[in-house]
Amino acid sequence: MSASNLKILVGDDSILARKQLKDVITKYTDNPEFIEAANGQEAVDKYSETNPDLVFLDIVMPVKDGISAVKDIIAINNKAKIIIVSSVGTQNQLKSAIEAGAKDFIQKPIRSEQVEAVINSHAGGN
Amino acid sequence: MYAQFFGSYLLNKNAVSAEHLTTAIAALSETHIKLGTLAMHKGYMTASEVDEVCFLQTREDKRFGEIALERNYLFEDQLEDLLKSQNPDYLLLGQTLVDMGVLSNTELESLMIGYQEDNKLDESPEQEANIEETTALITHFFENSGRDLTGHTLMYMNLVFNNLVRFIGEDFTPLAPVSCTEYNTTYCVTQAISGPVTLTSGVDMEPDVAMAFASRYAKMEFNEFDEYVSASLEDFLNLHNGLFSVNMSNMYSEEIELQPPMHEESPVITMSEDSFVMPVIYPFGTVYLLIII
Repeated sequence: MSASNLKILVGDDSILARKQLKDVITKYTDNPEFIEAANGQEAVDKYSETNPDLVFLDIVMPVKDGISAVKDIIAINNKAKIIIVSSVGTQNQLKSAIEAGAKDFIQKPIRSEQVEAVINSHAGGN
Repeated sequence: MYAQFFGSYLLNKNAVSAEHLTTAIAALSETHIKLGTLAMHKGYMTASEVDEVCFLQTREDKRFGEIALERNYLFEDQLEDLLKSQNPDYLLLGQTLVDMGVLSNTELESLMIGYQEDNKLDESPEQEANIEETTALITHFFENSGRDLTGHTLMYMNLVFNNLVRFIGEDFTPLAPVSCTEYNTTYCVTQAISGPVTLTSGVDMEPDVAMAFASRYAKMEFNEFDEYVSASLEDFLNLHNGLFSVNMSNMYSEEIELQPPMHEESPVITMSEDSFVMPVIYPFGTVYLLIII
């Protein structure tokens, strides 16, 4: 059974990556509402404003990187469900992001089964 | 990888024009059969196994055959059989140029002998050049333009060529890299990396070329120059530099820090004398690769 009516924040400086992720999420959820952020600071600000059910965050972003954004969001809500979307070559930062409070991660280029698994795992009850 | 550098060799010897070469390489890519397609045709691999190997090439800098062996999708004798089934691509390029009437068989024979001697190639190399041969080809390519590449920089450029083949297509010819202290940009995306190797790499191209480049990279059809096209160029650089970072970590336990890729707003980039610009000709246009040191 797919999750429904999820409010999902997608933080990535690449509009292409945001589109690809939204397209895949739409396959596995009913009626998702997307909030987009193009850098870490925007993601933190939009998290405060919208209190989303799930957050997908890239690591390497301008203005504020993903790890700092994870820390700031966790400071707002320590139960925030943050999924890191890591690029190839950012394994070291990935560890820091998990330590900062991210709940899970998927790797770029994203695969639909990875996205399905994290949605089922972290938002399956919605 | 032989055909790309054979093309460059032919241009260097003034044996063909850039236009003829582009036409021949485009025709070559239509006739060249990829290893995965051959493996499916022979019943050695399923389509999903081929897809899996292609995907894994976005995670680690390895050849198709190497990953297929690691995953037990192919046995070694099957891989050897597949490699033998492929025609050496630079012979095919030569044959295409003869068929087009650009070269005679006599001219081709002489050029092939020269190319083999200059690059110390076997007389009948298999389709997939091995790592040492590819490195030698690239070293020689840069030496011909008066530039000695060694160590990490050579490794970086080796990966550039491999990633162009993997993610954009093998139907390209690199032209001799040139030094320039001021470079006028058209639409340019750059990404800085730092650590044991500190440099900024970039791709610059006309908007219509960027649309074609992005369409190939993202596997989407882009008919107008928009932010998705720009993001595709940035993603390509990010993936390339990420793979380089993985290689550095795996081979030398050294970490590379990546800055976010960015669109260069400045119409002119000032570069040091060690920096260079390398035009790469594709059938859809020329991509200018910038290595800013």
